[in-house]
Amino acid sequence: MAPQDHEDRIIKAQGLGRRFGRHEALAGIDLQVGRGEIFGILGPDGAGKTTLMQLLAAILDPTAGQCRVLGFDTLRESSQVTDRIGYMSQGFTLYDRLSVEENLAFSARIRGVSDADYRQRRQRLLQMAGLQDAVNREARVLSGGMRKKLSLCTNLIHEPELLLLDELSLGVDPVSRQELWKMLRTFRDSGMTIVLTTPYMDEAQACDRLAFLYRGRLLAVDSPAALKDRARGRVYEVVTARLEEVQEILAASPEVISGQWLADRYRFQIDNAQGISGSLRMKLEYLGAPSPAMPDLENAFVQLTAQPADRLATTVSLRSAATPAAPATAIAATDISVRFGDFSAVNQVSFRIAAGEVVGWLGPNGAGKTTLIRVLCGLQRPSAGEARIAGLPLASSSTQIKARIGYMSQRFSLYPDLSVIENLRFFAGMYGLSGQHRRDAIRWVKPLVGIDGLDGNRTQALSGALRQRLALACAIMHRPSVLFLDEPTSGVDPLARRRFWQLIQRLARSGMAILVTTHYLEEACYCHRLGLMHNSRLVALGTLAELRSALQPSDPGASVEAVFMAYITRPSAAAGVVG
Amino acid sequence: MNARRIRAVIGKETREILRDPITLGVALLMPLVMLFLFGYAISLDLRRASLGVLDEDHSPASRALIEHFSANESFHLSRSLGSVREIEQVLQRGQVDLVLVVPAGLNDSLLRREQPQVQVVVDGTYSTTALLAAGYAEALVASFGTKPSRATLRLETRVWYNPSLRSVNYIVPGLYAVILLAFPPLLTALGVVREKETGTIQCIFASPLTSSEFIFGKLVPYSLIALLQMLIVVSFGYFWFGVPFQGSFLFLLAAGLVYVLCTVGIGLLVSTLTRTQLTAMLLALIVTLMPSFLFSGLLFPIFTMPALLQLYAAIFPGVYFVEISRGIVLKGTGIDMVWFQVAVLALYTLAVFILASRRLKKKVA
Repeated sequence: MAPQDHEDRIIKAQGLGRRFGRHEALAGIDLQVGRGEIFGILGPDGAGKTTLMQLLAAILDPTAGQCRVLGFDTLRESSQVTDRIGYMSQGFTLYDRLSVEENLAFSARIRGVSDADYRQRRQRLLQMAGLQDAVNREARVLSGGMRKKLSLCTNLIHEPELLLLDELSLGVDPVSRQELWKMLRTFRDSGMTIVLTTPYMDEAQACDRLAFLYRGRLLAVDSPAALKDRARGRVYEVVTARLEEVQEILAASPEVISGQWLADRYRFQIDNAQGISGSLRMKLEYLGAPSPAMPDLENAFVQLTAQPADRLATTVSLRSAATPAAPATAIAATDISVRFGDFSAVNQVSFRIAAGEVVGWLGPNGAGKTTLIRVLCGLQRPSAGEARIAGLPLASSSTQIKARIGYMSQRFSLYPDLSVIENLRFFAGMYGLSGQHRRDAIRWVKPLVGIDGLDGNRTQALSGALRQRLALACAIMHRPSVLFLDEPTSGVDPLARRRFWQLIQRLARSGMAILVTTHYLEEACYCHRLGLMHNSRLVALGTLAELRSALQPSDPGASVEAVFMAYITRPSAAAGVVG
Repeated sequence: MNARRIRAVIGKETREILRDPITLGVALLMPLVMLFLFGYAISLDLRRASLGVLDEDHSPASRALIEHFSANESFHLSRSLGSVREIEQVLQRGQVDLVLVVPAGLNDSLLRREQPQVQVVVDGTYSTTALLAAGYAEALVASFGTKPSRATLRLETRVWYNPSLRSVNYIVPGLYAVILLAFPPLLTALGVVREKETGTIQCIFASPLTSSEFIFGKLVPYSLIALLQMLIVVSFGYFWFGVPFQGSFLFLLAAGLVYVLCTVGIGLLVSTLTRTQLTAMLLALIVTLMPSFLFSGLLFPIFTMPALLQLYAAIFPGVYFVEISRGIVLKGTGIDMVWFQVAVLALYTLAVFILASRRLKKKVA
C-alpha cells in the first residue's frame, strides 16, 4: 500500500528532527504515509515514538527538517493540521468526572460537529465500542479497556482524515484490544488514515506498513511480511532439555547475535543468511539438531539493532547462583480468597509452583493478578485460604518469608537520584545484608546481571534496559527462593528483553521459583507453565501445549492470544486444566 | 473566538467542578475559615489588660481612682501590690501588663486643690499594646478628679469612619482583598495544570479550539466561584462580624468582579508557567498569598514602608482592592474617589490575560 502519487500522501516528512536541549530525541526522519493505511511505529520506550506523534499532530515544533500533514506544513500551518486530525495521546485522556456521553459531546463541540451529525455518529460509535449501556457512567469508573475505547470514540466523532494514536493498547486487555482493532479497520476501510505507535510486536503485525524506530532514528519502513523476510534464513531453534548448555555454546559463538531461551527450546539468530557454520552445528548436534525457524518481527528488529556488545550474556558460574536448600515446592496456595467489602478480588485460587519453575501469570486488568501477588508477598492478608512460601506458612511467619522472596515491580522501584552502587547497597541493607555479606552479595550480583563498571552512574541516566537489570539485581541479592516479577519487561527493547529472559532462565535453573505477570503475550513462550486469571478466578494453569489441547476445538498452532481469548470468553470460565 | 466552542469548555469545566464535591467544598469553605481565623486573631484592640495596683495612700480618693480604672472594660484589676519591689516582680513574670502606683498623700493634695501625680508603669514588650494601655490610662487619669478649668484649651477628638476604633472594622474589609487573591488563583491554576498532568490538554492542543477560547472557557466558571466566594465573605463580614457597610453594595460587587477576573487571570498565568500541580500550587502561593498579607496594607500601612518596598507592594493587585474595599465599606466612597485603583485593576487584568494567552501556545514543548 505504498503511496502512489502526490495526492495520496497524507504525511510527508523530510529530515524531520527534534532536540530537547542537548538531547536529540529524533533525527533524520524521512517518512511517507499514504491514504487509507494503518501505519505502525514500533519501538521500545525512549525511542522517540511520542515525540514523532506530537510532531505529526503539529503540537510540537520540529527543530530540523520539515513535515507536511494533509498537505499543510506542521510548523507554519499548524492550526490547519490540528483542525483536521484526531490525536489520542498516551494514557487515558478523558475527563474523569464527565460521563461517556459528556466526554463525547465535548469532543464534538470543540471540533464543530453539527448536532445532527453528532447524534448519528454517536449512536454508531457507542455501538461499535460496546458502550451503549454506559453512556451515563462517569469515565473514571470505566475499566481500562472501556476508557481506551471511549478515548478512541472522542477522536473519531469528527471523522478526521488522519487519526494519530499514541500507545493505543497500553494498559488494555486482549479482549478490548481486539475490539479497538475492529474499529480501526472499519474506519480504515472507509478511507481514514491511521498512524499508531506500539511497543508490542504482535500488534505491529496487524499494521499495513511498519516503521522501526530506535534511539530516535528510523531503521526500516516496510510491510510486516517484508520486514520479517529480512531475517529469513537467520533464525534457528534447538529443542532439548539441556538449554543451559545450549546457552553456553551460543554465548561463545561470534556468529550468534541473539538468543531466546524459551520454556522447551532455544531459538537463536545468526549474523548472516548463509546458514550456521559447521563448527557451531557440530557443537550443538549432540544436544539436539538445530533446525531453521520462521522469523518474526522481533527477529527483524534484532537484526537491525544488534551490536557486538549486545550478544548473549556471558555465562557466570551457576554454582555461585545456587540458592541454599530450596524446598521442592516453592509456593503452595490453597483456596486463597481476598474480598474488599462486596468485591471479590481473588476467588478461591489454589496452585503449586515447584522450585526452578518459571510460571507466567496472565489476565486482563483487574483480574486479580496484582492482589494475588500482594498476598504471596505478605503485603495483603487473604480473607480465606492459606499459602506456604518456601515451606513456611504465610500466616505465621511473614517476617521470615520476606527474607525468602524477591520482588521486582513494574516501575523498577529504584532511587533515580542514587548511583548504581548506592541503590545496590541500600537494597542489600534492606534485606538485612551488611558488612562482608553485603560486599559479597554485590560482588556476586553485578556480573550476573551485567552491570559491572557502572557503580558511579546515576540511576536516572541509565537506559531502560540497564535500569531493569539493576532492579533485578536489587531483588535477588539476598538469594530468595521465590522471585516475583511484575511486568518486568514493559517498554524495554527486544534485545534487552531477550537478555533479561536468559537471566531469568538461569536463575530458575539455580532453583529459584519465578512468578511473572506480563502483558506481552508472546513472552508466554518463555514460561514453563501459564496461569490465566479472569474475574478473580484462576481459569487455567498448565503448559502452553496443555492449554491448547484443552481447547474446543483444540488447535496445536494457536497463538497465546487466541488461547487466552478462548479461555476468558468461555461462558463459564470454570477451572480448566489446573495442575 | 467561536462561541459554541467556548460554551463547550465552560459546560465541561462547570460539570467537572460541580462533580468534585471536595474541591468545591474547599473552595467555598476555605475563605470562610480564613475570614474567621483572621477576623478573630488579628485584633489590635486592648481588652482586659491585667492591672496591678500599688496603693500607698489608702484614702477615699485612691480607692475612687482604682475603681475608676477597674470599672473600665479595658482594664481588669488582677492584683494589689504591697511594695515598690513587687512592681518589678509582677511585670517581669508577666503577671500584669501595667501597674498603677498611687503615692501617699493623694487625697490630701486633691483636697488642697494641688496637682498631685500618680504613676503608671507599663510592660513595653509588646509595643502596640503598651502604647494603647498607656494612652488609655492617661485618658482615665485625665478624666478623674478635677474638672478642667475654663481657661485651658480643650481637645475634643472625633474618630470618623470607625468611631468605635474596632480593629475588626478595618481588618475584615482588608481580608476581602486578601482572600480573593489567595484562593481563586490557586483553584484556577490547579484546574489547568491538572489537564497537563492527565494529558487531556494534548487533545485540546490537537483540536481547532484556540488558546484564547480555552482560557476564556476556563475563566468563566472559576470567576463565578470567586464571585461566590466574595459574596460569602462579604455577607459574613456584615452579618457576623458586624462590620458596617456605608457604601454601595453594587459598586463593591462591580469592583470585586474586576478584581476577581484579575486574580483568576493570575491563576491562569501561573498555570502556563508550571507543569505539575505541586509547582503550580507553590508558585500560586508565592505570588498571591505571601504578598497579599504583607504588602497589601491589610496589617501594615504601605506608606510607612521604605520607597523600594512601596514599589514592590504596588506590583500586586491586593493593595488596590484593599483601598477600594475599605473605602466602600467604611467611608461609603464612590467611583469618583477610587477610580484610579479601579483603573489600575482593569489594566492589570487585561495585561494578565494577554500574557496568559501568549504563554499558552498550543504546543507541548
